[in-house]
Amino acid sequence: MQEPISTEEGFTRSAVKQLAVFSVLAVLVIVAVMYALNFIAGLTGSDSQSAAGAVDIENNEISVFLRQDPPQLDSTRSTDVVSGTVLGHVMEGLLRYDENFEITAGLAERWEIEGTKATFWLREDARWSNGEAITAHDFVFAWRTTLDPAVGSQYAFIFYPIKNAEAANTGDMPLESVGVRALDDRTLEVELEQPIAYFDKLVAFSTYFPISEEFYESTNGRYGAEAESLLYSGPFRMTSWVHGASIRFEKNPYYWDADNIHLDAINIAYITEDTNTLLNLYKDSRIALVDLTAEMLEGAMQQRWHLDRFMDGSVFYIEFNHRPGRLSTNLNLRKALRYAQDDGELVDRVIKLPGYLPAKSVFPVWLRGVEDTFREEYPAPESEYNVALAREYLEKAKQELGITEFPPIVLLADTSPVATISSQYYQEVYKKNLGLDIVIDPQIFRQRLAKMSSGDFDLVLSGWGPDYNDPLTFADLFASWNLNNRGHFDNAELDAQVRIAQNSMDQRVRMDAFGKIQDILFDEVVFIGNYERGRVYATNPQVKGILRRAIGAETDFTRAYIVPESTAP
Amino acid sequence: MSDLSSSSSVTLSADDFAPLPHRDDIHGINRPSRSYWQDAWRRLKSNRRALFSLWLIIGLLAFALIGPFLWQVDPSRQDIDQISQAPGADRSAEIVPEYTAWDGSVQPGFESDATGLRIGADANSQSVRLIWDAVPGANALRLYRNIFPIDGELAFGLPIAEFTSVEAGFYEDRLDLRPDTYYYTLVSLDQDMNLSAQYQELAVDVRRVITLDEVRERELVAPDVELALGDEVKLSFHPFGTDYLGRDILARLMSGARVSLFIGIVAPFLFVLLGVAYGSTAGFIGGKVDQVMMRIADFVVALPFLLFMILFQVVFGIGPGESGILPMLVALILLSWPATARLVRGQILQIRQEAYVSASRLLGAKNYYLVLRHMIPNTLGVILVTLTFAVPSAIFTEAFLSFIGMGVAPPTASWGSMSNEGLATMLTHPHELIFPAIFISLTVLAFNLLGDGLRDALDSRMRSLE
Repeated sequence: MQEPISTEEGFTRSAVKQLAVFSVLAVLVIVAVMYALNFIAGLTGSDSQSAAGAVDIENNEISVFLRQDPPQLDSTRSTDVVSGTVLGHVMEGLLRYDENFEITAGLAERWEIEGTKATFWLREDARWSNGEAITAHDFVFAWRTTLDPAVGSQYAFIFYPIKNAEAANTGDMPLESVGVRALDDRTLEVELEQPIAYFDKLVAFSTYFPISEEFYESTNGRYGAEAESLLYSGPFRMTSWVHGASIRFEKNPYYWDADNIHLDAINIAYITEDTNTLLNLYKDSRIALVDLTAEMLEGAMQQRWHLDRFMDGSVFYIEFNHRPGRLSTNLNLRKALRYAQDDGELVDRVIKLPGYLPAKSVFPVWLRGVEDTFREEYPAPESEYNVALAREYLEKAKQELGITEFPPIVLLADTSPVATISSQYYQEVYKKNLGLDIVIDPQIFRQRLAKMSSGDFDLVLSGWGPDYNDPLTFADLFASWNLNNRGHFDNAELDAQVRIAQNSMDQRVRMDAFGKIQDILFDEVVFIGNYERGRVYATNPQVKGILRRAIGAETDFTRAYIVPESTAP
Repeated sequence: MSDLSSSSSVTLSADDFAPLPHRDDIHGINRPSRSYWQDAWRRLKSNRRALFSLWLIIGLLAFALIGPFLWQVDPSRQDIDQISQAPGADRSAEIVPEYTAWDGSVQPGFESDATGLRIGADANSQSVRLIWDAVPGANALRLYRNIFPIDGELAFGLPIAEFTSVEAGFYEDRLDLRPDTYYYTLVSLDQDMNLSAQYQELAVDVRRVITLDEVRERELVAPDVELALGDEVKLSFHPFGTDYLGRDILARLMSGARVSLFIGIVAPFLFVLLGVAYGSTAGFIGGKVDQVMMRIADFVVALPFLLFMILFQVVFGIGPGESGILPMLVALILLSWPATARLVRGQILQIRQEAYVSASRLLGAKNYYLVLRHMIPNTLGVILVTLTFAVPSAIFTEAFLSFIGMGVAPPTASWGSMSNEGLATMLTHPHELIFPAIFISLTVLAFNLLGDGLRDALDSRMRSLE
């Protein structure tokens, strides 16, 4: 069907001419308006942020990113990695980890841990960011506040090695009975329930940071909610916090070791989880560091970027539900599931990031043993990829359960990209090798934890990041009393070994216990290891001294420094 | 006289009064008489765009319904050897023995007098085995892998491994090896663990390999074909490439088309039906009832779709791994009918006043007869156009909801979820996004153009313009 054609040709021609002139004019006007708007935006906009590059040599500051807005900067309550990273820059406790991941003096200039008594002597020049002295009382206040049942801190358990702490936290004893006392302004004495070998490492954890009681009360319950409602004991202080948008750290002039802090400011200019956005920001030199996903590696090599990697310390695994009535309580089924998968394939072929390692044990490779790394001294039992064996175990499981066909098995997983890809990978592997139907239940992180706690799963893709540098942070994961043992695994022998590791002062005895725990976890197939997480990242070549590590601040810029372009290698 | 009289007189017989035989051609009407639908079909046929769209839609239906019988590949099967493979990539592989762990010893045939970084065994996509001699003067060593030769900028590529010992060592690389040339570098680190300019470089050509068991398991060759080590086989053919888990994109597009077209056709059909029933009732009864019914329709228009989607998922108790297609269908039907209802009501109100309706009523026609025989057929054109325009919007809604993860459950594919998955690899493997995106766009465009053509063909007022 043809469109009706105008009868007057001449009119049409002039109309076309008019239209052409008009459209050219319209385009010109639009372009002019856009330039004008851009100019106006330039006049009014705060270009302090948009114009600042990744490295500002003149002002001696760098720009970086955070994945999320820190949910909680009150050290008594914070539980997550992002808050940990921010707190690691602006706060310091009695002890801290140095560049080589060893415990070193923080606000305490020296310390002594003997038997059940630990004493810390604070530095004379330990000061808050308002210039007031940090005293032993500030620690007593912070620790008691965390243990206060009214506060309900999730991390209160980390104080339990201290005398009466557990009883005080449950409300059975007054807070004053907790074994921590300020002998004077600069001496802090801690009484422990029993001698423990890793107390110095615990003290470096963020929950052990001090809080000034006077300041805490003056915030009227909003401690840590804004940049102004925190007092800082660390190398930097937060000068601005625009929630969800940006954070700015400036050097804390009252920090005792300020001479060794080289940057004047750290600008967290972007808060986003979108990896592609971050990559573009890095390409445009807006941020000094970026984490790369597997898809970005080829591009990064083309750009000739200098790449680094580190292990962020976490271990990821499939955990089982051991509640009565669940299929996953059957040992032979669990064995079948383990032998039917090849742990290397997931890491090497599916995730394919060089930082990742197959998780052969719940204890990651970087943990220290007695002399060497723990995994060198106590090698993890080797599993194998053996489909025939797996099918045998599956048949046994069917007989024991008295069923001929397995109903669908629920695999609970996060919605993160790696969790999504891993869950779909396992779904297909178990379908192909064992003929099992796996249904994936994707949930956001919090919801996954809630569902794990209520026992609403058969298998779950789970993970654990270390709280302190000792194998115990992983070893007690499956102890029957641990709240994080959400699958309710209960094994008396394992519990006994965890108790040994907690209570012994002899490193050899403790490591033996961890070795036995490792064997029990393998024999009972308490988990199927997926991977130890790593990260590949690119850094601006002008910034040196950035530390990335498993414990404390994941990315630590406190001792970073800028090298001018000419001398950069 | 008699002559004249005889010649001028006409003798009439009885035959002359017989009726003439019936003749059809007498008025010379050459145009065949056509019904409304024949006429509409003729107009549609003359509209090239609409006709092309119609064929496209028929093709898509065939793709979804017949395709899976012709291309019998499991859409959820993962081909780990061919992850994110672009269409038309080389897929030959050589048969090698089963992988066994390596203890660092040099494989026979690879002994050499060379020093420095070198390979200790055949390099293939199973593993690249590297050995090196002691590096004096270094504090530690770091092994890098690159896909470009190392140039002056000292960008070594991917850090693969780090070694605290600077003695002679070995390393087996198994990370995502593809048939390509890799440039390995072993770089010395100084006391502060910083990179020094001292490094050894090695270029390694990697061939793609496969084991005999894998060939048999995946049935890459006929079972009666004898195979020996070193033979070359072709890996499974993926005409549209594979996705991030090595799944065949063509097969996923076909199974995804079923989901998309199911929602796209069933949902509009049902909600248009509901809308027609509701709208014609309101329009026919009129008065207060019409007022109340149309206010209810206004209320439904105001309900937010996405919120209701989520509520329906909760109400339906969609458990893990269950598809969200049913709640999506219900939500679409319950929330999309008012547009059709309004349109039909308007038409019915108009037709109610027509003379032929009054005539029919005078002749004793019942209400249901009036509605079904006179009113709805006269609004059918409008209804059909609404239907064709509702299809693309439903397909788009499905794609959008699957894209944000509220649609199908993995491993079921839908075009929307495939686009979502392809988005992550957009920069490196664009085919994973482009194919589902093309299919969504084509389908939506085809239904829109067809709807456009139908409107032109069915609108009776357009006829006078011809």
